[in-house]
Amino acid sequence: MSEELILKMEGISKSFPGVTVFDGFDFDLRRGEIHCICGENGAGKSTLIKMLSGAYSPDRGDIYFDGKKTESMNPHTAMRMGIQTIYQEHNLFPLLNVVENLYAGNQIMKGLVIDEKKMVEKTKEILDYLHASISPFDIVGRLGSGAQKTVEIAKALVQESKVIILDEPTASFSQMEIDHLMGIIKKLAANGLSIIYISHHLEEVFKIAQRVTVIRDGQKVNTYDIKGLTEQKLIHDMVGRDVSLFYQRKKVPIGDVIFEAVNLSGNGVNNISLTVREGEVLGISGMIGSGRTELAELLFGVKKAESGEILIKGKPVRMRTPLSAIKNKMCFITENRQATGLFLRHALDKNIAIASYSQTKTPFAWPREDYKVSKHYIDALNIATPGVYQLAMFLSGGNQQKVVLAKWFATEAGIFIFDEPTRGIDVGAKEEIYKIIVNLLEQKKAVIMISSDMPELIAMSDRIMVMRNGTLVAEVQKDDISEENILKHSIGANETLGGNER
Amino acid sequence: MKTGRLFKHENAPMFFVLVLAIIAVYLVELFFVRGSNISKVAFLKPMNIANVLMQISITGMLAISMTLVMISGGIDLSIGQMMCFLGTAMAFMMKNVGWGSWQVAIFGVVLAVLFQLLMGLIISRTKLEPFIVSLGFMSIYKGFTYLITNGREITIEGKFSFLGRSYINLTENFRLGMPVIILVILVIIMYLILKYTKFGRTVYAVGGNESAAYLAGINVKNFKLLLYAINGLFIAIASMSSLSRMGTGNPLMGEGKEIEVIAAVVVGGTALSGGKGNIIGTLIGVLLLGFISNALNILGVAPHWQYIMRGILIIVSVLLMYMSIVNSASVKGNVKGKPVVVNKKTA
Repeated sequence: MSEELILKMEGISKSFPGVTVFDGFDFDLRRGEIHCICGENGAGKSTLIKMLSGAYSPDRGDIYFDGKKTESMNPHTAMRMGIQTIYQEHNLFPLLNVVENLYAGNQIMKGLVIDEKKMVEKTKEILDYLHASISPFDIVGRLGSGAQKTVEIAKALVQESKVIILDEPTASFSQMEIDHLMGIIKKLAANGLSIIYISHHLEEVFKIAQRVTVIRDGQKVNTYDIKGLTEQKLIHDMVGRDVSLFYQRKKVPIGDVIFEAVNLSGNGVNNISLTVREGEVLGISGMIGSGRTELAELLFGVKKAESGEILIKGKPVRMRTPLSAIKNKMCFITENRQATGLFLRHALDKNIAIASYSQTKTPFAWPREDYKVSKHYIDALNIATPGVYQLAMFLSGGNQQKVVLAKWFATEAGIFIFDEPTRGIDVGAKEEIYKIIVNLLEQKKAVIMISSDMPELIAMSDRIMVMRNGTLVAEVQKDDISEENILKHSIGANETLGGNER
Repeated sequence: MKTGRLFKHENAPMFFVLVLAIIAVYLVELFFVRGSNISKVAFLKPMNIANVLMQISITGMLAISMTLVMISGGIDLSIGQMMCFLGTAMAFMMKNVGWGSWQVAIFGVVLAVLFQLLMGLIISRTKLEPFIVSLGFMSIYKGFTYLITNGREITIEGKFSFLGRSYINLTENFRLGMPVIILVILVIIMYLILKYTKFGRTVYAVGGNESAAYLAGINVKNFKLLLYAINGLFIAIASMSSLSRMGTGNPLMGEGKEIEVIAAVVVGGTALSGGKGNIIGTLIGVLLLGFISNALNILGVAPHWQYIMRGILIIVSVLLMYMSIVNSASVKGNVKGKPVVVNKKTA
């Protein structure tokens, strides 16, 4: 690694309607360096990558590449300059072979025809260099995810990239694949390539990084040399919010266990047990992709569990479909209300009444009844709408979320599973949703709440379970709940920091 | 206020198109064909209206169940060929095996429902597009039809005439055929079912958002299966009426019906993407296409031109409907049931 800079960002600002993601952000990358970027969910990591790869252009500030200021980058020019981004999801043609993928749109020509022989030769060369046991003629879609990642790196080499950005490259990797990838990355850096590496996994960061930049809420907290940096310091920088941001929730007495899952496995989730009591909020924390939503899907019967048991009020219940869950007074407020919660082109009364049809035996659905129930919950939840016959798509995010809630209130559900209950909702409406949740607790209902919004999760939860790679890694009790403590478990820091590990 | 609501009803645009079309045809016939002699105008004579109703009745029956299938987000291209298959199979059983009316009727219903269940199973249990699956079945039924008939008609010698050839005489010149009466009954039943039952609401929910419907406790797969079975029942009724009326199992009796039916349903306001539509709209669509077709005959337009005119009509009426939706969505204000547009793109 030399001191010479390959990439530099100066005073970068970027905002989206309603939110400023970056404000005066500085960053630099040296030639031959492996530079890790750490931050919580929503800290701005993806936005940063998108600006470097030309998918977004910053509102203000400059990006220098190889000493020259870049003008209006787009994904194409970024790639031509030599910045290659490897996203979490594979970006390959699954039906084509390795050679065809490496040279897609970039074929070596011999006059007017493609020089197949030379491309195969070069592919072999690169694959050897990467120590990959892949044939140039393998169909990419049939390769494992580790091998596909290698193909993507090979593609970056074919295009003679100078900077490779890797976003969460080891998701769904085996330990062997991780080790192999780490080896490749170190080799590339030793040969002068610069790597930006983004990961939720602290052990990976400490294994390969030379420098680490921590970002939080679109601000650079600090850049460190890995030498002398401790996990504790890193985690402290990733959290460190002002406590006054936290919502102050009313205390509610906690009753008996109402919902229990025992050794639940399947759908990417491994051997999870949990209990929820009446009047209690069980928070579920974890980085994106840690299996939180997958767990909720098992609890609600969206996906079938391979093994394990669910008990409601002590009685075992077979969760075959969501209908079994609804009949047992459960409900699931999904993370994407528009895709899986609402009937956007239908009126509010149709949206609110639909889930309660399974609660009665009659074959009839009288519009007048639907109207009455809908009107009741529209008033009770204070949904801002010109009327019951308004189409759901014309409401704001917060009001749409309340319509989803109204749908479940109409079923008289007692166990609520919230997945990201306030995503995409403005501050005022957020607080209203919190009040509604506390109100549920006062009626002795039980709440399981998944959230990436740490202040929200900490403020609302009585207990927090932390998930990582599909398993439960810790259960943090009310008194021990702190952002630092939870983050530590979600990114797999060593247990030297204390806390009650299970 | 009441008339205001009438204008805003979702079927209003197509209803006005229907009324306008009827007036226009009447005036054209009056001035250009009959030389301004009112007594000679054939179009709105009771006999002609009864005739049109008879002609649209079979299409109408098929359109009812197609409306259900399409609101739920599906489609069935096989209905025309299935009608050929059922009609000729029933005629074959009557003529060659000697079955009576009741036996044949039950046979037709069972056959239709079984085949639709098979198609429904494939559509609901796989991710295959209903468009393609039903296209496949369309060809299969055509093959069956020719296997049964060898391309020739099978006459049923006046048997089975109740469904197609009995009439109720309302006045001297106005008599309603049995298929028309069956259509009216089916329309009323399905209108009530769609509006006042959980089943009806579920049809819309499944077409509106399948994943949300599943999470709200609806067994989407079995529900789709049920809809195709109901579709089979309606096709069986339509086939029987048609067979009875023609008195012969013709291998071409349902040829091209699927296009006619889908056109009527779409003209009637059902969205191809699902989640939207209703039976009265479909009835208006069927009536509109039926009257126009009849008008073109009366006005003496050559058959070749009729196809072209009908195609233009379908496109123009769907375009009109689309424009009226866009307009009503951009109306601002807090009128009950009227959207307040926040963002035009989402509208």
